Amino acid sequence: MTQLLLGNDAIALGMVQSGCRVMTAYPGTPSSEILAGVVKFKKKLGREIYTEWSASEKVAFEVALAASWSGLRAATAMKQVGLNVAADPLFSAAYTGVVGGFVIVPCDDPGPMSSQTEQDSRLMALTAKVPVFDPSTPAEALAMTQAAFELSERHCLPVILRPTTRVCHAVQSVDVPTAPAAAPNGHNAGFKKDPQRWAATPVFRLKLHNELNAKLADIEAEFEASPLNYSVNQPSAISHQPLGIIASGVVFTTAQEALAELGAEAPILKIGTPFPLPRKRAMEFIAQFERVLVLEEPDACIELQIPDRTRVNGRLDGTVPNAGELSPEIVMSVLAEALDRAGLPVPPPPDDAALSAIVQSLKIAPRRPRLCPGCSHRSAMFTMKRTFGPNAIYPGDIGCYSLGTNLRAIDTFVDMGAAVTMATGFYQAGRITGDKRPIVALIGDSTFIHSGIVPLANAVHTGARFVLLVLDNHTTAMTGTQPTPANDYTAEGDIATKISIPDIVRACGVKFVAVADPYDQEPFKALLEEAQAFTRAPEGGLAVIIADRPCVLYDDSPIEANPIPVVVTEDCDGCRYCVEAFECPALVLRADKSRVDIDYRICVECGQCIDACYKGFIVPQMSVVSTQ
Amino acid sequence: MELKLILAGIGGQGVVFATKVLSQAAMGRGERVMASENHGMSQRGGSVMSHVKIGGSEAPLIRRGTADALVAFDRVEAMRSLPFVRAGGSVYVNSVNGLDPAVMARLTELGIGVFSVEADACARELGAPAVTNLVVLGFAAAHSGLGLSVDDLKNSPKRNHSYRQRGLRVRP
Ligand code: SF4
Ligand code: SF4
Repeated sequence: MTQLLLGNDAIALGMVQSGCRVMTAYPGTPSSEILAGVVKFKKKLGREIYTEWSASEKVAFEVALAASWSGLRAATAMKQVGLNVAADPLFSAAYTGVVGGFVIVPCDDPGPMSSQTEQDSRLMALTAKVPVFDPSTPAEALAMTQAAFELSERHCLPVILRPTTRVCHAVQSVDVPTAPAAAPNGHNAGFKKDPQRWAATPVFRLKLHNELNAKLADIEAEFEASPLNYSVNQPSAISHQPLGIIASGVVFTTAQEALAELGAEAPILKIGTPFPLPRKRAMEFIAQFERVLVLEEPDACIELQIPDRTRVNGRLDGTVPNAGELSPEIVMSVLAEALDRAGLPVPPPPDDAALSAIVQSLKIAPRRPRLCPGCSHRSAMFTMKRTFGPNAIYPGDIGCYSLGTNLRAIDTFVDMGAAVTMATGFYQAGRITGDKRPIVALIGDSTFIHSGIVPLANAVHTGARFVLLVLDNHTTAMTGTQPTPANDYTAEGDIATKISIPDIVRACGVKFVAVADPYDQEPFKALLEEAQAFTRAPEGGLAVIIADRPCVLYDDSPIEANPIPVVVTEDCDGCRYCVEAFECPALVLRADKSRVDIDYRICVECGQCIDACYKGFIVPQMSVVSTQ
Repeated sequence: MELKLILAGIGGQGVVFATKVLSQAAMGRGERVMASENHGMSQRGGSVMSHVKIGGSEAPLIRRGTADALVAFDRVEAMRSLPFVRAGGSVYVNSVNGLDPAVMARLTELGIGVFSVEADACARELGAPAVTNLVVLGFAAAHSGLGLSVDDLKNSPKRNHSYRQRGLRVRP
């Protein structure tokens, strides 16, 4: 049956059809829809699968790993930087191996579009010595998910399926094979003790390393003949030709289209298994050409493994840009140049710049992403800025509130949990340099549980003093409102035990712990001042305030229960203070800049902007009606 | 027949939803579809664009200067996305006054037709301000810009889904 499938749904369906029994994930763009897809398809196909939104990628990895060691097929998904968090178990599990097929899906983000790096998970696989599949389309991702489970089980080794954003978020009409009535079940034998493997000490680890090398050699031999690696436009007789192309992932489809447009029939070797690279196959292909161009994303994984690169061009020698997404425009120009250098005349590529110059001259301002109308983070950060001013140091973290950079309420973000550790470091550095500026760190609820707790224990233990603001909006908002351990329900909506963030904070030894609604801006400000005073008091220490208010996309019932419609009075003089310092998308400066209007199509009537006009020109609607 | 379409708008206008309606409708006609959606940061009120290829290649993105049509739910986003449209292509835009006069001469030179519809007003009249996206889509279909008829769109299994997003409530 032909079905319209999102790439992430295709991967999910592949997992369910392959008899995956345990699936775990931590949300992160572009991977977040995979687990939701597994929940959807398991219900549709009536399969029993344990799913879990884990507290972090490392947790997700290890929970799934234990299932595999128990003989079950298991999988885990995350964004590419999530694999950094799970790197520790990844490297170890490569040595120990697995029992039930174990598939890891880290989703790469060339661009980057919503990540802090453009790192290549295939290179992570290469370093960890784990084989990797690299799908070009949702349809191929579905097929490769099944192949990955089989390979993993055959060689008792974790396998990585590595899609990129353009596969995860592509929607394709896919011919879905009918699900087998009973899915293969792994070995299903339960955990069998084998201390020399599952609890291997360094002596045994050397043996396991040699075993791993042998497995990889076998897998490379298998990949030499794999149908996932194939050539297109291959000339029938082996002859010496000017240009050949090796491509993988989305760039393979982009290159095919560009070549067709250019009317050039350059042969392409499509690589579906970039590590271990079938080197014999690659060298045989390369031998047919004067020059070979390698196209892959986001870094050079295939190119790096080619034993002899004398005739090879790619990212390593600068022929292909070594940062950013390989867009159709870039692929077209790289190909046209390569064909030209190879002495293959191509017509000039069709003009794609006919309108660009004129549109550029209009200088249309980029529409930057902003916090939603009514977002509780805005209220918390606005009040924080009013309390501590522009000089305080504001270490931030990963989540919607990263957009607080627009409000100049975030000075740093590094990775998950770094708000707490960076604040600790700034405090210790300040003691050395004599820097007395207040330090106010911001972290979300999901991020706090993911990576903030250990840093907090460390900060309390070492005597660091700063204010930590836990922005608790009851959900993982940025990635589509997935539950955290502080919610009382699971990925499938079943009842779960809710853990308490204030209790965790207290248990870390924090003596100043307060929970407050950031919508009550004045009391919230008083509390911030009290917390700051505590960090300076002789008997004081680290202070934590939990800003407690649900994300409006997740739960707008508190606003529905108490809507506060507002108006901007006639006195507004267009000073733009509210637009810049508060930045609600519903506060719009008129085109002639004379005043601010409220865009009632998107205003949620939270009433939070009333204090954003210090001149008092934003008022509740009722008060206008009553004074008229 | 291969058709390359760009859908452009602002986060919250339902670009991704419109992409699904369109893709399902094309599939209903037995066409192969490849589309590329925008997720993540772009959904917090930023520019959102999706690329849709009907009966074409498996490459998810459309190269600048090669789209047969641009369907835009917002005038500024239409302007921003213009470089994608090929000579002889069409632009369907939600606007009360067409596009910026600064680009019109060049568009005419390139044989690009601009068709505007006051979709916000239409949607308000329908009592459903959030269906602006579907109004523009229907308008483009009626002008045979999508290779699909209005009936094809009506038959899309996606059309009945809720477009209302909590927290981005659209009020008349
Ligand atoms: S999704 Fe929620 S947390 Fe994120 S910006 Fe919108 S309201 Fe704020
Ligand atoms: S009431 Fe004010 S802050 Fe709240 S959504 Fe409307 S304009 Fe924005």
